Amino acid sequence: MSKFIERPRYLCTLGGAIATLKVLPRVIPIIHAAAGCGGNIANALHGASGYLGSGYCAGLALPSSNIYEKDIVFGGEERLTEQIATTLEVVDGDLYFVVTGCMVDIIGDDAVAVAKRFHQDGKPVLGAETGGFKGNSYKGYDIVLSKLFTDFVEKNPLKEKNVVNLFGLVPIQDVFWKGNLNILKALLEKIGYRVNTFFGEGETLDNLKYAGAASLNILVSDVYGIEPAQIFEETHGVPYVIAPLPIGSAGTEKFLRTVGEALKTDKALLEQVIAEEKARYYSYIERLADVYNDLDFQRYSVVVADANYAPALARFLADDLGWLPELVVITDVLTEEEQQLVEARFEDFTSGIRPKVIFDTDTSNVSKHFNASWPQNKNDRYFDSFSPAFLLGSSLDRDFAVSIGAPHLSVSYPVSNRVVLDRGYVGYRGALLLVEDIFGLLVGSR
Amino acid sequence: MDYIKDKAPPVREDRLRACNAYGGSCDNLVDQSQKGCLNGIKRTFSQTQGCQLNLSLAILNTIRDSVVIVHGPVGCGGASLSVAGVNKNFQQLRDSNARGLLWVNTNMGESEVINGGEGNLREAILHAEKEFRPSAIIIVNSCVPAIIGDDIDSVVEQVQSEIKAKIVPVHCEGFKTKIMASAYDAVYHGILRTLIPDLDADAVSRSDNKNQLEELQEKYRISRTVNVLNVSSMSRIDEYELVRLLKALELNLNILPCYAHPEDFLKATEAALNVSICATHDDYFVEHLKTKYNIPFILRTIPIGVKYTNRWIMDIAKFFGNEEAAQRFIDQETKLLEEALAPYRELFKGKRVMIGGGEIRVVANAELLTYLGLEVVGMRAYHYDQFADEMLEEVTQSDKVPFNVATGQPFEQANLIANLKPDLYIGHVGGNGWAGKQGVPVLPIFHQSNIFLGYTGVFEFARRLARVLKNPSFNRNLGENTKLPYFKNWYEKDAFSYIDEGN
Repeated sequence: MSKFIERPRYLCTLGGAIATLKVLPRVIPIIHAAAGCGGNIANALHGASGYLGSGYCAGLALPSSNIYEKDIVFGGEERLTEQIATTLEVVDGDLYFVVTGCMVDIIGDDAVAVAKRFHQDGKPVLGAETGGFKGNSYKGYDIVLSKLFTDFVEKNPLKEKNVVNLFGLVPIQDVFWKGNLNILKALLEKIGYRVNTFFGEGETLDNLKYAGAASLNILVSDVYGIEPAQIFEETHGVPYVIAPLPIGSAGTEKFLRTVGEALKTDKALLEQVIAEEKARYYSYIERLADVYNDLDFQRYSVVVADANYAPALARFLADDLGWLPELVVITDVLTEEEQQLVEARFEDFTSGIRPKVIFDTDTSNVSKHFNASWPQNKNDRYFDSFSPAFLLGSSLDRDFAVSIGAPHLSVSYPVSNRVVLDRGYVGYRGALLLVEDIFGLLVGSR
Repeated sequence: MDYIKDKAPPVREDRLRACNAYGGSCDNLVDQSQKGCLNGIKRTFSQTQGCQLNLSLAILNTIRDSVVIVHGPVGCGGASLSVAGVNKNFQQLRDSNARGLLWVNTNMGESEVINGGEGNLREAILHAEKEFRPSAIIIVNSCVPAIIGDDIDSVVEQVQSEIKAKIVPVHCEGFKTKIMASAYDAVYHGILRTLIPDLDADAVSRSDNKNQLEELQEKYRISRTVNVLNVSSMSRIDEYELVRLLKALELNLNILPCYAHPEDFLKATEAALNVSICATHDDYFVEHLKTKYNIPFILRTIPIGVKYTNRWIMDIAKFFGNEEAAQRFIDQETKLLEEALAPYRELFKGKRVMIGGGEIRVVANAELLTYLGLEVVGMRAYHYDQFADEMLEEVTQSDKVPFNVATGQPFEQANLIANLKPDLYIGHVGGNGWAGKQGVPVLPIFHQSNIFLGYTGVFEFARRLARVLKNPSFNRNLGENTKLPYFKNWYEKDAFSYIDEGN
């Protein structure tokens, strides 16, 4: 039995599937579900992710069979067939992807078979079962990618040495996905690779279609995209390496070395790129020498984030900024094995800092974990308080930040108090933006 | 009307034969509606929309000092993520200590689909009580527990005896109806069954505790009090305007249901009159208060624009027998407003406008825009039922104007805009961005931050309209640089081609 979740920071499988399809170029999701599923998801994918907008054919434009009681009783396959046919008439896309809601999965509609019939007629239609009860957004991402990797990516026994695919960074759930992908692509291009991320700037569906020619899949996650990566390996013979999401100099250097080792990248080139990027990074960070040291900008900190961001942010705070991330709360639903994998990422910070890591899905528990980790002042004359402090979390964590007197920056989903366009926080370049945003808050009242 | 003994209310398709798929002229719409043969809900191509659970949350998320439990898989109610922040600000406009929106999702997974989710629900209720000690715990029931047969009412009955918070079950399963507005009935049904005091018990306690003088004072207070029923897509300043209008009639207001405290509903029966600003929002509630508590109501119109604001005030004044005072107030207000609007009229003259939103408000808005000198070239309403007939019939100039009944369905809107080429689009959230991408200047209305009701609302609307028209460059640029997802030939077809009248 699963446990209730207080203010969950993700949608259901269908939500994750739609999010993934929404940002694939010229892909049209077709929802086979009750009328409100798409509407609910559309709002969450816009207002809680930095005002992403409806996109090309999402928001309230999402084609949807809008089945209701009568269809539930008699089955909705006929209605779906009609909806796919009319969508092909009205909506201009390169690939149409049927995703399902709980109700049609429960009553046993075979949406995948309906989609297949269109496919057999030469129409670019795919389908997957994505009923919300199967899991959360991440599950939807994994299901959609797996389906695309098996049924859309063309088989190609010839591998190109300098082509790689990168995934595991879940669009929209990572509110800064597009900026992040831009940065990682540019970085890998510097060490000599062409990169398919499928969702990145300037990419088309061809980047996905011909992804089978890659020599390696790079996963920036210990837990997301793993199943698709395994399917990719089985189907197309491309191995994968996990190189966790890098933020800042310490993390990105590690990332590049991991990738470099897996790809047997020319060592001299790798060292040269690391040196160049690091030099550029510190040419800007150097500016903070005065303000950091004049105004004492070291901070205690709390990180509340998903499994990808939490280790990356904590490492950046500890190893790059020299801060004290005492508590990290990871809000995703993870198995014990997954928790162990993620927790291990906190063990090798160069600063020697070792944050307390908690896995908890419930928003109001963050303050309880904080109270359990840091002693409360019991009217002591002298007291080692958690101050000055800073909180990196989501917009749901604002109240907690206020309660401990900490400035707060929304970085992980949901982000409803910021507008996000092409900003990214990964790599060297993204870390500079993160520094601007964090320290910007510290000087905000000056 | 008395459905209160039932666990759930009937859906609007059955109760009102409401329609959400129509395209045609206004006069034909009214004609069909009056004949009772307007009940289209089917399209052969459709786009997503809200369900009654989504819309129920729009109201229930505003109730202060409550925890909402969404009983369903983890994504249901996920849109709350995008309003949690701003919701707290709006709650605090009513009570500076308000905690904002708190919710729990019962996270039904595959195992609950097979074994039932009642255990999760029970745990969630107990958690909400222990963690937040709220006045009310509101349960919104989603599709999955409904289809697998969770009996949420018996869970509620059991747990209620263990906790202090009042539990309010709301049956708003999305798949039951395509008329999103069924949500209003579902919400009011839950409120009527749990938060409104039982008539007999209440009378006893009142007479027990009060002497004769106090009782008389109480009676007088009630005789001068009206419940004004607000909607979640209006602002605190809209409410201040309504207070101002009714103060002129020396009336006190209880404002319900949005942003109210659960205990405010205890007073819902202590009013001489229920006044709605939107019939399709409130008929279920006021009809029941009439049946059960004998409180009369006025549902007729909405205080948007001069004509309907005047009528709204006059209808209430008639009930209390002070038409003369009302007329004096109206004369004075309209005179002042006319003077204030004069400088804007030239700017608005002949501008062609399309309007979208809830049925009552769209029609009232058409009247307002016509009054301001614009020409209404198209209207879109989320759904249609009998409540708009009188007003729509009055907007006589608009007889042949196309009226599109659609919950969302931006493809129909895109077609209409491409063909009608309005100078301006005025709409509620959800459709505005699409109009913007077609290059049309947009003025959003029905918002929690703007005033739109009453006389002040007319002026503020005109002022905002002038501002939008002064520099529409943003949307013009969008129009030149973005593309909607429809094939070119869609714009050459009839906008209503996919409405299936045979259903």
